[in-house]
Amino acid sequence: MAKAATGITAQIVEQVAKCGIQLVASLPDTWISDLIEAFDKDERFLHVPVNREESAIGLCSGAFFSGTGSLALMGASGFMTCVYALTKINYTYQIPLLLFMTLRGSMGDHAKYHVSNGLYLKPLMDSISMPYTVVDSPNKVSIISQAYTHSRVMSRPVVVGFTRSVLRGEQ
Amino acid sequence: MRFRDCFEYIASRWASELVILSAGNCSEMWWEVTHDTERAFYLEASMSLASMFGAGIALGVRQMPVWVFSGDGAFCMNPGMLMVEHQMNLPNLTHFLVSNRCYGSTYEARLPNASSNDYAAMARAVGIERVYAFDSLDSLKCDFDKAVLAPGHTFVVLEVEAVGKKLQEPPMDGPEMKYRFGRYIERVAGVRVFDDSLK
Repeated sequence: MAKAATGITAQIVEQVAKCGIQLVASLPDTWISDLIEAFDKDERFLHVPVNREESAIGLCSGAFFSGTGSLALMGASGFMTCVYALTKINYTYQIPLLLFMTLRGSMGDHAKYHVSNGLYLKPLMDSISMPYTVVDSPNKVSIISQAYTHSRVMSRPVVVGFTRSVLRGEQ
Repeated sequence: MRFRDCFEYIASRWASELVILSAGNCSEMWWEVTHDTERAFYLEASMSLASMFGAGIALGVRQMPVWVFSGDGAFCMNPGMLMVEHQMNLPNLTHFLVSNRCYGSTYEARLPNASSNDYAAMARAVGIERVYAFDSLDSLKCDFDKAVLAPGHTFVVLEVEAVGKKLQEPPMDGPEMKYRFGRYIERVAGVRVFDDSLK
């Protein structure tokens, strides 16, 4: 992995720490393997690898009730499987949640099998009125703390989507 | 054993534990038995995520025991939850699997592989050590203290009869439940759940 990727990984991790987040629940995507490893090794966080992305939603939503700041970290495909959990738990009970997701299927993704994510991810989020923001350059990483605060103010999930180029340090 | 008898007994032993109920029969029966509006969270919209939800709570309030009740209908949608539970190994988390061998809240529709599912064996297979299974009220009463009140992450299977009728849902909507439960935790556990404290 390029040296710059280490830099962006560290930036993201620091922003998450700055939010006061202590729990990170993840399911991997190749674009976020470095990020997952960084959270796993950082003693400021309890990193919990989960069995499916919905479990991350459940875990982080419960953590809210113990005063524990949390982050659900996943790939785009995993997010697509979470519509039920997000709309039934977080929307019904108005539980805030910060969610990081890879923007698979967007320009720059070399994988053919993410066509559906490319076509439907953003329209899906719009269709369920899910607030989201995109980090497509290193100087936008600071929006993470705004997104976390926004989720708590709105008592809703907020998604931060990351492009391949920013996660791979290609900028 | 009869579902209601089982829950009535467990509720009679309920002290300071936080209780999370999965959607359907579990929430409805606990409501019917206790009418509690503060210490129980009726996760009526959950389908298989109650134990993960409970684990998130147990993680942050280690001094409080957390009981999670999920039906086997919910369980079969996400059996991998046991892997995450075991990995987290929360000593204050007890997961009760209420096994009525059907999808109870949808008119007791058939559950896949209902007669063969061995939930206790599944829990042991992922490494959970404290695993108990009760199919009679007498056995539950006999070993309740050992199974439920001793510390350590625990998985308890409760074999119950199907309810056979539609039960009332807890008459609270999502936000009301969120604030009742959250404010209770703030009072008793001393943690800050909401950004604007009542204090």
